[in-house]
Amino acid sequence: MSSPISRACARPEREPSRRQLLAAGSAGLALAALPDAARSATQTPLAELIARVTEGATPMRGGIVFDIPQLVENGNSVDVAIGIDSPMTEADHVRWIHVIAEKNPYPNVARFHLSPRSGRARISATLRLATSQKVAVVAALSNGSYFMADADIVVTLSACIDGG
Amino acid sequence: MANFNARITMPAEAKAGEIVEIRVLVRHPMDRGGQVDAEGRIVPRKILNRLTVTYAGEPVFRFDMHTGISANPFVSFTTRAVETGDLVFEWREDGGAVFTRTARLVVT
Repeated sequence: MSSPISRACARPEREPSRRQLLAAGSAGLALAALPDAARSATQTPLAELIARVTEGATPMRGGIVFDIPQLVENGNSVDVAIGIDSPMTEADHVRWIHVIAEKNPYPNVARFHLSPRSGRARISATLRLATSQKVAVVAALSNGSYFMADADIVVTLSACIDGG
Repeated sequence: MANFNARITMPAEAKAGEIVEIRVLVRHPMDRGGQVDAEGRIVPRKILNRLTVTYAGEPVFRFDMHTGISANPFVSFTTRAVETGDLVFEWREDGGAVFTRTARLVVT
């Protein structure tokens, strides 16, 4: 019947097919250059994913309490808790918290919009992780600065296995 | 989904200025798309993509969800108790369906 691994766990941007490669080869293009191009198309580096959400700014490290288990038995449901030490006043508050899982098929996982009404910058949620990877948190503050934290997670059962 | 099931856990009353924690658990498969069901068909993507919370008419929290959020998503957040009023939780599902739940916070 079907493979237990879902096709959806492949990256949405697919590698060039064998036919495309052959066509490129016969057209005289440098085949050696293609694997590199294919790899960069299928896996965006974490630094670039972060730069996209911060609109190019480099976030400062620290200031974020990022609570996530280092060893995850079931990637289908991973508890995370994120806290930022912020007075949460009109002048100084956390605008949003963004979670990135670089090796998920869709690396942008979640965004939490907060406001001074939140009182405290502390949230928790349940994620899905496709594989062992680095998970990053980016927080945007009202003064325009960004903070980040990351953690290396080992996932023993991927969220890409059906039936979980 | 007629049987939309959400469990909202929060105090029924709070003192003015107090920070209350609100915990929300929803029953939803969060189909990320591409799984194969028992009949061998591909399941299309269907997730709750947004939860917005308003408190006495003012937005206080928004949670943008993508396929990387687990089935039966849980979220907790905080808000400052300012006045007696309704917290309205509104989920938006792929395809445009909207589900709403209300919880009342009495401020003493």
